[in-house]
Amino acid sequence: MNLKKMTVLFLAALIPVCLWACKREEAAANEERDQVVIAIGSEPETLDPTRGWGHGSSPLVQSTLVRYTADLTFEKDLAADYRLSDDGLTWTFTIRDDAYFTDGERVTAADVAFTLETAKAAQGSVDLTYMESAKAQDDRTVVITLSRPASIFLNTLASVGIVPEHAYNETYGVSPVGSGPYQLVEWRAQEQMIFTANENYYGGVPAIKNVIVVFMSEDAALAAVQAGEVDVAYSTATLGTAQVEGYHVEAIPSADNRGFTLPMLPREGQTTENGSPVGNDVTCHIEVRQAVAYAIDREQIAGVVLNGFARPAYSENDGMPWNNPDVAIETDTEYAKQLLARGGWEDTDGDGILEKDGLKAEFSCLYPAGDSVRQAVAMAAAQQVAEIGIRIHVEGVSWDEITQRMFSEAVMMGWGSSIPNETYYLYRSDGALLADFYNPEGYRSEATDSYLHRAMAALTVEEANANWQKVQWDGETGTSMRGECPWVWIVNLDHVTYVRDGLSIGEQPIHGHGHGLPLIQNLSEWSWDR
Amino acid sequence: MKKGNRRTRAVIQAAALAMLLLVVYAAGILISGDAVEGDFLDAGRPPCLEHPFGTDALGRDLLMRTLKGMSVSMTVGAAASAISAGIAVFVGIAAAAGSGRVDAAISWLIDVMMSVPHMVLIILISFAMGRGFQGLLAGIAATHWCSLARLIRGEVLQLRSRHYIAVSRKLGKPEGWILTRHLLGHLAPQLLVGAILMFPHAILHEAAVSFLGFGLPPEQPATGIILAESMRYISAGLWWPAVLPGLTLVWVVLSVDRLGDELQKILNPFSAQE
Repeated sequence: MNLKKMTVLFLAALIPVCLWACKREEAAANEERDQVVIAIGSEPETLDPTRGWGHGSSPLVQSTLVRYTADLTFEKDLAADYRLSDDGLTWTFTIRDDAYFTDGERVTAADVAFTLETAKAAQGSVDLTYMESAKAQDDRTVVITLSRPASIFLNTLASVGIVPEHAYNETYGVSPVGSGPYQLVEWRAQEQMIFTANENYYGGVPAIKNVIVVFMSEDAALAAVQAGEVDVAYSTATLGTAQVEGYHVEAIPSADNRGFTLPMLPREGQTTENGSPVGNDVTCHIEVRQAVAYAIDREQIAGVVLNGFARPAYSENDGMPWNNPDVAIETDTEYAKQLLARGGWEDTDGDGILEKDGLKAEFSCLYPAGDSVRQAVAMAAAQQVAEIGIRIHVEGVSWDEITQRMFSEAVMMGWGSSIPNETYYLYRSDGALLADFYNPEGYRSEATDSYLHRAMAALTVEEANANWQKVQWDGETGTSMRGECPWVWIVNLDHVTYVRDGLSIGEQPIHGHGHGLPLIQNLSEWSWDR
Repeated sequence: MKKGNRRTRAVIQAAALAMLLLVVYAAGILISGDAVEGDFLDAGRPPCLEHPFGTDALGRDLLMRTLKGMSVSMTVGAAASAISAGIAVFVGIAAAAGSGRVDAAISWLIDVMMSVPHMVLIILISFAMGRGFQGLLAGIAATHWCSLARLIRGEVLQLRSRHYIAVSRKLGKPEGWILTRHLLGHLAPQLLVGAILMFPHAILHEAAVSFLGFGLPPEQPATGIILAESMRYISAGLWWPAVLPGLTLVWVVLSVDRLGDELQKILNPFSAQE
């Protein structure tokens, strides 16, 4: 009897202990649940926004004057208010007074002016050549004067994080201080970056407190997902079909496109400054370029080659407010054949490849060796184009070799950002045949230049967008495949991402080009399900 | 029941292996360029009747690619071992027949070459010569002659002390005559077997260097390239692009090795007892 009582008492005493222990475990699980490990493909070169960090997306460690909404309009961020003078030349920004850098100093108008002047002087990927000066009028007001109206100025500001004047030095790029939602804790080159949430962030403390970003190739990232080592991993369309238990695949739409350039000039012995040959006697014919564009079945490439993780692309900015919907074309091999026949191309020796004046309709298409997506897209396109009698030799080469040969051969490129500037750089005549990969095909057009300048100088977004659209197609000519066709656009890739079940990665804005980096731009919106 | 004596069996086996390898080589040469190009609608097929090795992620038939790749590997292997054997003969005879200093210098060079890992040297040479077929060939040829050269040096040293060589010399025969009539004739079997045993090494090195991206260009169907590409998809469950071409490579390497062994037995029956 006594023994029985003792046992019951002992068991009763155990219950609260068990409950307490269970609670502890639960708490531990909850504690863990404010951390994520993210695998992405490429490491940033610097975290200094004046030298290109955050180009085309938000800078994470720093905050910006204005930022993009998910539908690509602007909302105020660091700026409490802003206005533009009637002549389009003077911008006045008022800075909010509750923003602090992570070292405790307040963000002032002087910091904003310092950032913009530094970015202009650095001449990096932030183009501020049209900015005359940025001056702090008082603690909270900064006045920016432009040398000419620039409709893309807000787009630029949305990606330039504000750096602190007092803490800016040569090592800023690796040990940044900012006023953004996160701060950098540790950066081990080629290995990982660790961020922690900024507890004093004026926009509210993010739900995810600790972030570890590891750098891995696509296949290593998939292996890490299979081993359960990472919560989020950037992947590619060619690998995204693998099912992994405990994870789901999110296909994030992007403006990250794949297409190839076609040299516009004939081969006449001309070379670039570095001695690279210029021009191609086959692709300099507009009927060849357009026939290639019409022969490619984009739906098929997106659906079959890229497993549905892509959509057809018809320009560098499909789906953006500054895109001209008329640029879309239908696949039409008959029309492509007619174009070639009208141009005088015919198969005289019966080998399936057309000729004109003894010249065979064949050219090389280069892609960076090791890029499986570009390789797959290029080979599929070559196979489709072979149907109309044009032979494309797909070659995987190093970037060094591409830099040498891109002025005389087709190159499978990748572009795409959510800023209309891109159109400007891709097609301006001044940029033709420069080594910056924008316009290696040598496209020059007075009509395009005039639309580009009008778009850049527009005072309203509507006016700017109308002109960006005319760049692509004004009813007679343009940069689209219906027009001069310097590029054959093929697909916009979805950014395929493995995400652990239970983690929400927020409403991702349209991604630009960049191997996984755009993914983390909205980290402050991520959260674990409770 | 084994038929025939050991020698007959060795001859038959060697002939059979040589035939098989020749068939693989010829098949690789005869396959047209179109057959190794893919059809992306057929991508990622596991092995089936139509594609015994399956197709890769770009829809290219892997059997065709493997055969084509093996013939490229064999060309590289054969050319590299032939050049290597040539270097080995020259260096080996020079060391044995030259003065003491020449011998010491050459022996030192051989020691140095053998102490540096082959892979590193091949990568360096191949890279410096602009990669591709010629870079790879130069790299492999320049690194594989050492052990054979050492063997030949020892053999020549031994031969030089033989009576019939001494007699030839006493009879006033010129050195060149002795070299071609007596030495080379005597060295030929060693050389043949040495070169054939070098061949699998050369193939493996070709595959390894191409795998690492310092050899043949990525569109060329070559075993190393196929294996390197397969690595990208193996985590997504495509096992056949790695396993089947890999096994073929192993099979070819083992076959050539076996062929070398059989030839050794035929040419030097004593070795069968070793």
